[in-house]
Amino acid sequence: MKSSLVERFASWEAFLAVLTAATLAYAVAAVPDFPTAFNLSQVIAGVSERALIVLPMVLLIIAREIDLSVASILALSSVVFGVIVEAGAPLGVAIVAALLTGAAGGALNGILVTALGLPSLVVTLGTLALFRGIGYIVLGSGSVNVFPDSFTNFGIDNLGGTLLPWTIVPFLVLAPIFSVVLQRSALGRRIYAIGGNPETARYAGVRVGRIRLGLFVVSGLVCAVAGIVFTARLANARADNAVGLELDVITIALLGGVSVFGGRGKLTGVFFALVLIATLRNVLGLLQIGGDAQGTVIGLLLIVSLLLSTTAQRLYGAIRFWTTPMRSGGPGSGGQPGIARQAPDART
Amino acid sequence: MSLADASSKVAIHPPASPAAGLVDASKRFGGTVALADASFDLLAGEVLALLGENGAGKSTCVKLLAGVYRPDSGAVLVDGAPVEAWSPLEAARRGIAVMHQHPGLFGDLSVAENLFIGHMPRRRFGDVDDVRMRIQATELLEVVGLDCRPEQPLKDLRTSEQQLVEIARALTVDAKVLIMDEPTAALSQREVERLFAVVAGLKARGVAMMFVGHRMEEIYRVADRIAVLRDGRLIGVERAAELDRDRAVQMMIGRPLSAVYPQRQSTPGNGVLEVSGLSRDGAFADVSFEVRAGEVLGLGGLVGSGRTEIARVLFGIDRPTGGTIRLGGQEMGIPDPAAAMAAGIAYVSEDRLGQSLVMDFPILANASLPVIGKATMAGLVRRRSELKLVEPHLKRLRLKFRSFDQPVRTLSGGNQQKVVLSKWLATRPSLLILDEPTQGIDVESKAEVHAMIAELAWQGLAMILISSELPELVGLCDRIVVLREGRQTALFDRSEADQERVIRAATDADHDAPTPVGTIARTVAEADHSRGDGSPVGRLTQRIAGRREVGLVCAIAAVAVPVTILNPRMISGENLTAIAMDAALLMIVAVAQMLVLLTRNIDLSVASVIGLSAYGAASFMHLHPASPVLAGVGVACAIGLACGLANGLVVTVGGVPAIVVTLGTLAVFRGLDSLWAGGHQISADQVPQSWLDMTGARVAGIPAVILIALATLVVIGLVLRRRPTGRELYAIGSNPDGAALIGLRTTALVLGAFVTAGLLAGFDGALWASRYATVDARVALGYELTVIASVVVGGVAIRGGAGTVLGVALGALTLLIIENGLTLVRVDPLWLQGVYGLVILVAVAVDTLVGRRAHGVSGRR
Repeated sequence: MKSSLVERFASWEAFLAVLTAATLAYAVAAVPDFPTAFNLSQVIAGVSERALIVLPMVLLIIAREIDLSVASILALSSVVFGVIVEAGAPLGVAIVAALLTGAAGGALNGILVTALGLPSLVVTLGTLALFRGIGYIVLGSGSVNVFPDSFTNFGIDNLGGTLLPWTIVPFLVLAPIFSVVLQRSALGRRIYAIGGNPETARYAGVRVGRIRLGLFVVSGLVCAVAGIVFTARLANARADNAVGLELDVITIALLGGVSVFGGRGKLTGVFFALVLIATLRNVLGLLQIGGDAQGTVIGLLLIVSLLLSTTAQRLYGAIRFWTTPMRSGGPGSGGQPGIARQAPDART
Repeated sequence: MSLADASSKVAIHPPASPAAGLVDASKRFGGTVALADASFDLLAGEVLALLGENGAGKSTCVKLLAGVYRPDSGAVLVDGAPVEAWSPLEAARRGIAVMHQHPGLFGDLSVAENLFIGHMPRRRFGDVDDVRMRIQATELLEVVGLDCRPEQPLKDLRTSEQQLVEIARALTVDAKVLIMDEPTAALSQREVERLFAVVAGLKARGVAMMFVGHRMEEIYRVADRIAVLRDGRLIGVERAAELDRDRAVQMMIGRPLSAVYPQRQSTPGNGVLEVSGLSRDGAFADVSFEVRAGEVLGLGGLVGSGRTEIARVLFGIDRPTGGTIRLGGQEMGIPDPAAAMAAGIAYVSEDRLGQSLVMDFPILANASLPVIGKATMAGLVRRRSELKLVEPHLKRLRLKFRSFDQPVRTLSGGNQQKVVLSKWLATRPSLLILDEPTQGIDVESKAEVHAMIAELAWQGLAMILISSELPELVGLCDRIVVLREGRQTALFDRSEADQERVIRAATDADHDAPTPVGTIARTVAEADHSRGDGSPVGRLTQRIAGRREVGLVCAIAAVAVPVTILNPRMISGENLTAIAMDAALLMIVAVAQMLVLLTRNIDLSVASVIGLSAYGAASFMHLHPASPVLAGVGVACAIGLACGLANGLVVTVGGVPAIVVTLGTLAVFRGLDSLWAGGHQISADQVPQSWLDMTGARVAGIPAVILIALATLVVIGLVLRRRPTGRELYAIGSNPDGAALIGLRTTALVLGAFVTAGLLAGFDGALWASRYATVDARVALGYELTVIASVVVGGVAIRGGAGTVLGVALGALTLLIIENGLTLVRVDPLWLQGVYGLVILVAVAVDTLVGRRAHGVSGRR
């Protein structure tokens, strides 16, 4: 996009990049325990599932949908995986079964949303309870914690002497694929079009329902992968795995600059948000601040940064008002994507 | 007193005194000058027409006078004096009524409420006076010639009918000045006649009027004086009688305009499309025609006569219910737009903003959207191939633009339409359907579109042209099919078609002489009545059966009855009391959530607010055991209020979406709670007994908490149902833009909803702390999902604008009775969550299906 120098450097991604770099610099300089090899690899391992799930979540939010059931799908596929391993089946069978579970869960979400035309916020709120409930029905309050060594090693080991744990590898493989699809492919263009104006997309021959259904299935599949990763990392399959993870993932996506109204946002921003939040949580943890209190910081970060961004946008608009010569460009181009106040159907 | 009586009264007023006007008014947006130094007066008893191309500044003038904008320099005058503190409310107060271009109406409210929103008639204690409102509404609907019940939901009306409601709304106030911004764009000839009769009546009563329109015929019929705008500047104001059309057009575009319709010889080729006996229930029936290559077939008729509906079926948006479609001689079904495109059909929709463009996209991405699949290599989009597909068409249409990457929203209406046309030409169609292709675009672009149509026909493209503009239809089409109320009434060849015959076929084929307006209106009204909806009793039972509340009561019974048979303890007093006490707590916070949802926002932080305020109240009572119970409640309410205020301010003043804000505060409030509690808990023996008695004490055998909850619900229910503020809350959620346009205090109302929700959640926290006695930092953790579930099951629309307190209360009760019932029949409590999920899904699914069926039953609307 041809835009002025200011617009290009004042982008949301740039802002996040600076913030992330500053946080990392602070952590390295001021928190002695942070820059150790062990801790860094712990941070990366700890973010494995969120990193995976945020990929399809971004696509869904751009297409004006949302999936609140991600953590429940993660738990359910983890339970299915555990139960099958416990029954003595080979690892491959368990993995396939877990993936199928995830895909089926996503398909149920997608069908309810596309075929019945229900708002995804409500549907996935329902399946959030339903999927986890099924997990409880299958495994009760118990857990499976005996797995083959090869599997638990995957959950603990690092990639050949580096800082990178194996559990982040699925993300490292999928992230470039998602980026290219979203930013460069025809499918990506169609996803943005659906979010920008679903009716226009439909009238332009985009098979809106099919793409949305597909996105939900992909989301389910990726959640299942995250479920397997989670099980490996904790060597534990339980129905209450990763409770509340959905809010974390959505927070990352929104902080990353994806508009809740759909149609806007990029994965680059989301990657910065991911690193930023992971670092913050780790640093706060090292400073002996508990989980709920960490939430306060993350919540404030989300609100304050978006507030700053809207304010900056207004200021910038005012500056342009006084400095630009009269010309035929309309108001409000460019700026931070998460903020644009568009009209209807915001949450459906 | 309303203007409704105007058309029947005749008085003589000397046209003279300026009632309103602009003096050297300027308005800029960013770097764009929308209006520069414009001055004109609106005189009592006179109509001033504003003429100008799109982007000339007409709508800016309207919005300045309507109070939507304030001038950057210069002033708006009312009664000869510059106005202060200018806003839509102030404008209405000073007697300026406005008909907006895109109706700012509220689908979820009734027709009568739409007419009076912002100034509903009130009874003595400030309640809405339904009876008076209905009577006045009926009168007004009669005046504008709209046949519908005042209590009918507005969303059931067609576009043109909604435009009539917009017109009627401007007549509800005793206005001195009436501003009409393209009121006729969606109206049929008959409705336009009605409007002009009203205008004549108002003129006789001395109302000053401003009329903005695109159709020259109308402007010359209605205007006394004409003001011409070009590029944001006022070119001149002249008496209509002294300004001939050519000169008016010349002033508008700054140069003389050549011949209006391109002359062309048509030499039709092979048949492209053949439609026979095509029908769609409730839209049109038994339509047959043929389109050949190089031919323009016109579809004429009033708005709502079935023209667009036919196009939608041909393009695969809707399914036909009868008849056949043949393309190139081959019969085929068209299941969706993608299939239509594959068959070589392109459809330029009448709704440019809603169905043709993605406003966030640049020009290039908009123009290439339908063909983006052809511009890829290995699945990736290549800019060069994209340009190759799109550029020739944009060039041919002489689109004025700076760069292909310019956002399409920065273009004028005419240029946007060129992008839409290019986008469809890029699909290389064999049949092009143009639905109102020149609606709302400037004269120059219009002429270019006409030239393009002629050129495409010459190149052998088959086209269907749908237009409300008769000269356009007659001037461009080879043949014209005319529709009336979904039936084909005439087919004219180019040689026999003239405007008179087309309009006659479109309105009433049986009358040879032009029919007086009143008669047509009456005939149509009678026809509508005879169409009927069955007996009033049948309608009543149908309406009752369709109510969400009834469904919920049935659901409760379906759970309670079998459970009672299995375990009679279900209906024991003890059990019922326990359910009711839990329900009381849930209902209060669910209603709080509903207030926020109504305004098209959401509050995810309610559970954290309950937790924080519960801990606050309990710890206050622990530290000050001697203080009265009300002080503890006060502390909780204050905490809730502060939380609600924080949410509301960030949403309204900060402009951050509610779902983001409250997702953040959900974590923030819970974190504060946890820091405050620091791992401690306050147990029953650490607080005074009076604190626990607050909810546990019984009044006439009923626990106090239940009575408190019922009182809260009744108060909120009454406010929502009976107070103007309550109705405005629904209006905001129903159509936020419309609410801003007519000057509802959106910010205050949304802020109020968040603050009230916070207050109620805080209050609920106090009750929670008292009822459950033991309080720590994890009170109500994750409760927000239960709350949202009850609200959704209770029938509140997540998109805002719809829902009732009774429904929410029953929704909460349903969830708790299911929970209780499952426990009583000894279902593993772990199953509960799954069942909850299922209930939510079933509730929304049934809702949708019932909604659809009800839509089908009520027939064509």
